[in-house]
Amino acid sequence: MPLVKTPKPTWSQKLKRFFMIDLIKGLGLTLKYNIGAITDKDSVAGKGIYTEQYPKVRPDVAPRFHGAPRLNMDPETHDTLCIACNLCAIACPEDCIDVIAMDVEIIVAGKPRRKKVLDEFIFDTSRCMFCALCQEACPTACLELTQEFELATYSRAGFVWNREMLEQGRETVKYTS
Amino acid sequence: MLLLGPVNVLNDLLLRFFSQETINFFIWPLIQIGLVVTLVALWVAYATYLERKISAFMQARLGPMRVGPWGLLQPIADGLKLLTKEDFIPEKADRWIFFFAPYIAVASAFIVFSVVPFGPDWAVIADVNIGLLLVLAVSSVGVLALILAGWSSNSKYALLGGLRSSAQMVSYEVAMGLSLIGALMFARTLSLSGIVGAQGSDSIWFILYQPAGFMLFLISGIAENNRAPFDLPEAESELVAGFHTEYSGMRWSLFFMAEYAAMVVVSAVAATVYLGGWYFPFVYRLETAGYHNLYVIVSLLVFLVKVSIILYIYFWLRWTLPRFRYDQLMDIGWKWLIPSALINIALSAIAIFLVQALNGYRGMRTIESLDRGLNLTATGKGIMIVIGFAGVFIIAALLARINWRSRDFNLKTQRRNIRLVNLPKGKPAVSVSEV
Amino acid sequence: MHQVEIATTQETLLDSPEMVLNMGPQHPSTHGVLRVVLRLDGETVIDLDCDIGYLHRGMEKIAENRMYTMIAPYWDRLDYIAAVSNGLVWVETVEQMMGLAVPPRAHYLRTILTEFNRIASHLLWLATHALDIGAITVLLWALREREEILKIFERQFGARLTCHAWRVGGMPNDAYDDFEKDVRQFANNFPKRLDEYETVLSENRIWLSRTVGIGVISAADAIAIGLSGPSLRGSGVPWDVRKSRPYAAYADVDFDVPLGENGDTYDRYLVRLEEMRQSRRIILQALENLPDGPVNAKLPKVVKPPVGDYYHSIEGPKGEIGCYLVSDGTAQPYRVRVRPPSFINLQALKQMCVGHLVADVVAIIGTLDIVLGEIDR
Repeated sequence: MPLVKTPKPTWSQKLKRFFMIDLIKGLGLTLKYNIGAITDKDSVAGKGIYTEQYPKVRPDVAPRFHGAPRLNMDPETHDTLCIACNLCAIACPEDCIDVIAMDVEIIVAGKPRRKKVLDEFIFDTSRCMFCALCQEACPTACLELTQEFELATYSRAGFVWNREMLEQGRETVKYTS
Repeated sequence: MLLLGPVNVLNDLLLRFFSQETINFFIWPLIQIGLVVTLVALWVAYATYLERKISAFMQARLGPMRVGPWGLLQPIADGLKLLTKEDFIPEKADRWIFFFAPYIAVASAFIVFSVVPFGPDWAVIADVNIGLLLVLAVSSVGVLALILAGWSSNSKYALLGGLRSSAQMVSYEVAMGLSLIGALMFARTLSLSGIVGAQGSDSIWFILYQPAGFMLFLISGIAENNRAPFDLPEAESELVAGFHTEYSGMRWSLFFMAEYAAMVVVSAVAATVYLGGWYFPFVYRLETAGYHNLYVIVSLLVFLVKVSIILYIYFWLRWTLPRFRYDQLMDIGWKWLIPSALINIALSAIAIFLVQALNGYRGMRTIESLDRGLNLTATGKGIMIVIGFAGVFIIAALLARINWRSRDFNLKTQRRNIRLVNLPKGKPAVSVSEV
Repeated sequence: MHQVEIATTQETLLDSPEMVLNMGPQHPSTHGVLRVVLRLDGETVIDLDCDIGYLHRGMEKIAENRMYTMIAPYWDRLDYIAAVSNGLVWVETVEQMMGLAVPPRAHYLRTILTEFNRIASHLLWLATHALDIGAITVLLWALREREEILKIFERQFGARLTCHAWRVGGMPNDAYDDFEKDVRQFANNFPKRLDEYETVLSENRIWLSRTVGIGVISAADAIAIGLSGPSLRGSGVPWDVRKSRPYAAYADVDFDVPLGENGDTYDRYLVRLEEMRQSRRIILQALENLPDGPVNAKLPKVVKPPVGDYYHSIEGPKGEIGCYLVSDGTAQPYRVRVRPPSFINLQALKQMCVGHLVADVVAIIGTLDIVLGEIDR
């Protein structure tokens, strides 16, 4: 289309075009890649094949990755770290966290006191957008988005995680072949 | 000899029921056809596998890896999947034409294999003396399938694809036929076995005499098969899937098979006409040593290797080059390929005339004999090869001059460069005229 | 869905019947769910109209019902290819409205990471643009480099695509341990990869014939329509928000702005390729001068910008992303309006396409580099 100005070509440019150097260079590059893939060598990055064979080879997920949620427990007493403060539910933009607390009577220094403890924790992963605002809001580092990324289930109900799932983790089949 | 043992036994068995003539002219061809169809279908299936692997390697990927070792069973898995898929027919489609279009495509692609000489002697089904003509004629029926498929789908994308394919295949068929004529002038026969024989008896491949013809044939062959960069009828980014947009399941895979089979056909014809077919230097010594069947089988393998090389070029081009636009495709066909083919014919004629005229000039001997085609001496071959390779540049130069003012693909269009401007910081909008 | 009206603007050739072709919303190369209704004469486009809104999620309305700190992850979903830049425009608007002083280290990290996002976005553009024109191999090569950037994002932000990269007042985390090593490794390899793309495309005669002179838009028209970003600079208009209204640390880095000449698809292609090189330059400079210190400003307990309105814009990969914010003094914005570059760039489609072939429409949609998430919001 002669709609745009084209600069006057030099002789070397004309000759290059005449001998189809442009096409030959491109074909040479793909051939180089083909040979590089077979020998798994590449001049730039050192490897010729970039495929990760996913179920066979597990990807290494970054430590900061925002994946499946988890409620951490005290490693010694195995009590939940959650103090039912509801900050995560307030911070959540999608409103997908429900913290259900209950009052229990405990004896502190000989006197009966009421304390709010966690009863049930509902986390709707189908609505979660993994922004990690809840994780940042948690004062006790209890709620954490882990490196687990396989969240698919067969039903919508399966996306709603309760306290047990959040604490123990969900059982998933890990395909390895 | 061991290889033909079972064959002799089978022949004896058949002799109990049929006469030797019936066996020779009816039974053996049927067995050959069955074998060829099976093997070609397998070959086509594995051509898809190869294409996927090669494209993957060119893109720094692995390609199919999950079905069987290195994904070797992938074509079979694909076939099974396609067989079990729903064969969907659009409501407003022309049912019968929609039904039959894929069969026409496959049939026209597979019939051509009847005359392709896979090897000497028993490795060719029918040695028709107009083999090449049959190849061109039958493969051009394939365009009918695409038009019918595009029209009967009752979809605008399919219709556009069908229209494109008809225009494209009709115009590239001309270039394809014309580009072969140069080689036929040397072979002096239309029989494909005859062409191989002509190259064998002259101990040369016609690609050396006809490099321009080979390139033209290859390019127009790619276009004829609707392969990238000429894959406009099915240009997936423009027309979704072109003429087979509405096809699914096995009918779609028939189109797919037809495409690959047609690709193998063009590669086979190119190998036969330009790369000497099953002929390879020194292989005939097996024949003279008495190993006839071994000779046939080695020749067959030689042929397969040659076809595979041309197939690789197909894949290679597809995964490197961008796609042409429809008008550019027509430009290339009519402004470049057909004139090139015509000039090539003229040059070949001049070359043959020159070699004949030089025979006997100042004691030069260029022609060995004229009994079987054109048998040249080393001098004659040298002249021919020089003219052939010079011809490539002569043709390119002539056409570059003729097409100097053409819209695309002239020598004028070049890579442009852009300006780099260090704009001042913090200064709002600079007017266009300032820079 | 509104009725699409198409006016006949041009005489058809020899009274041939016209055909109305519905391209999209399910079409491989409308880059999402764009519906383009084409009036064709043969394969020549006489007229076209765009139908958008298939991906409308009401982002601006959602923002009216969220606290200021909660809106940033939604902004990632506008232009999900350039989530980092989109997030930046939101947090910077809020910060500037509140008069927060963001520490310099955060500014530098923001510069580095938004430039990475620009490269990632341009790589995806290159991949899909090449795919539209038929060079399939470039798709996977470009995505391979994008993968390296996404890995850096994953390590830094915890997510690959919609990163939720910034918080009002700074960043959620400081740079991770191997950050500098990863960045330098990428910066080392990247120019060679760009040269590879250029080998396959820039000089290729098919690529030239598919892009030179296609979708021409003059500088005056581009300004009139309101194009921004590489689409505008391809027409030769020297406008770059990074230069004219420097934000983050752009005032401290030195870089050039590539300008096209003819405003065709090829110019825009070259401009974007050059922008990737310049982005690498910016990244290396910012990494060299990366100051130490905190990455977060001291934030009040509840983010409440003062009553008033404010407009702030940054140079996103696709053009000028702007954010107009009206605050009534509460913890939730009164009204938020996004200036979406893709939406405004899309308006040039008709002017660019009429008279070209169907295949060029695909190339032009590719060269405008639209993202439907941002157009429909």
